[in-house]
Amino acid sequence: METLRTFVDVISVFVLPAIIVGFPLYGLLKKVPVYEVFVDGAKEGFNVAVTIIPYLVAILFAIGMFRASGALDFLIDGLRPIVGLVGIPAEVIPMGIIRPLTGSGSAAVVLDMINQFGEDSILVKMAATMFGSTETTFYVIAVYFGAANIRKTRHAVPVGLIADFAAFIFAIIIVQLLFG
Amino acid sequence: MLNYIWAGLIIFSLVFALASDFRDIAKDTYRNGDALEVALTFPEGFDSTRRRLPVDVRLTSDGLRQFYGTDVVVDSVLSGTIVQTADGRQLRFAQDVALPEPLATIRQVTSPRDNDLRGALVGFAAPAAGSVVTSASVAFGEVRFVKMNAISAAALDFAETAVTLALGLIGALALWMGLLKIAEESGMLQGIVRFTQPVIRRLFPEIPKDHPALGMIVLNLSANMLGLGNAATPLGLKAMEELQKLNPSKDTATNSMVMLLALNTASVQIVPPVLLVAIMGLQINQLMVAIFLVTLLSGVTAVTMAWLFGRMKRYRATDPANLVNQVEG
Repeated sequence: METLRTFVDVISVFVLPAIIVGFPLYGLLKKVPVYEVFVDGAKEGFNVAVTIIPYLVAILFAIGMFRASGALDFLIDGLRPIVGLVGIPAEVIPMGIIRPLTGSGSAAVVLDMINQFGEDSILVKMAATMFGSTETTFYVIAVYFGAANIRKTRHAVPVGLIADFAAFIFAIIIVQLLFG
Repeated sequence: MLNYIWAGLIIFSLVFALASDFRDIAKDTYRNGDALEVALTFPEGFDSTRRRLPVDVRLTSDGLRQFYGTDVVVDSVLSGTIVQTADGRQLRFAQDVALPEPLATIRQVTSPRDNDLRGALVGFAAPAAGSVVTSASVAFGEVRFVKMNAISAAALDFAETAVTLALGLIGALALWMGLLKIAEESGMLQGIVRFTQPVIRRLFPEIPKDHPALGMIVLNLSANMLGLGNAATPLGLKAMEELQKLNPSKDTATNSMVMLLALNTASVQIVPPVLLVAIMGLQINQLMVAIFLVTLLSGVTAVTMAWLFGRMKRYRATDPANLVNQVEG
């Protein structure tokens, strides 16, 4: 496990510099005026960021209000007894609900759980696996579709949420199998 | 669907905020206008004529339970100051002390800037000679509509956060868009496309052969797998732009776009995201395999779902590709 980890570490450390240097180097070999082309492409960065703003504001303020109203806690408390029946530990429910909504919020949930149950706890392992396995779906939808100015998202939301739910369930099963 | 979820979030926030505020009023959670009895202990040799007197305030769990009806388990002794003001004596708790509920909420609402809980002292008399202990009642500021205020504050806060987040992307976006442009002009991207399209075009059958969008998608997915969030987002946005060029509709997502999104929300993770590594420290070593397996399974689920939903009658009717055919036919 340790060698695998080192190997992966090395890859993730070297990939970025390899691309950042490799792309211009390859361009230079192909006689591309690399500086001019780079600046030309980079110009777009600002526009894309500005295009995203309305989409991101729409999603984030709604999620912020929902969290501030206490509805989230109500939802989590309401789900606790139900999930207990199907054998899902109630302690990981907050993670499952908050993860698609906010990235910083779910990081706080993991930290909370570490304080409460300790690093070695299987519940923390489940929550951390959920955190690492899924994205902040609503943020990704806002940003990605925002950049292309797409307002009608069709099946993106149900597919994203089903994938999140799948990751939630698989995380419980697999952590149970590996560490239970 | 997003329309309903979005409106639902906002409407439910209002409903919950209203319900919780009216419950507070009905139960008189904050005891507005009443005074809480506290025991005060002064330091030895204090001078009761001074304008500011340091003092230890003892909040007993029984006292709090009787007054507010909360289940506080432990007594707490908090430091504070008694200040002589124009309207009489005021008790100020030290800044940022840990307070039991509902005092923490009262502090948050009545003194958000200084974060010190303040209240008017009622029936205070300096301790008799030779003693340092006395008791008095303290009436805090009135607290109403906590959640209603909280949701409007949160709406504004998060709107600001959204702009900060979006503008914070500019640097990374510019860097990666510049690099991608070089890759495009040098023919590197086309190389990636030729090499990977036999696999990747199965997931994105709508994208024409040899199209640069395929290359952007490959780069986006690889960055995602390697946990390089900062690179994955700009690459994904660029891929999205390329897909939009192929889109006959201006504002409706194509099947390819939904597929790209599905692959991004549930992407296979070989290296866990940086933030999780920071939180978990060495523990992450054990979790790498778990995360890899979970993402493999959820990734397959996401791709299957994106494919199946795209085939459903409901979503086929809104497919931009079909709209064009209908107009032409």
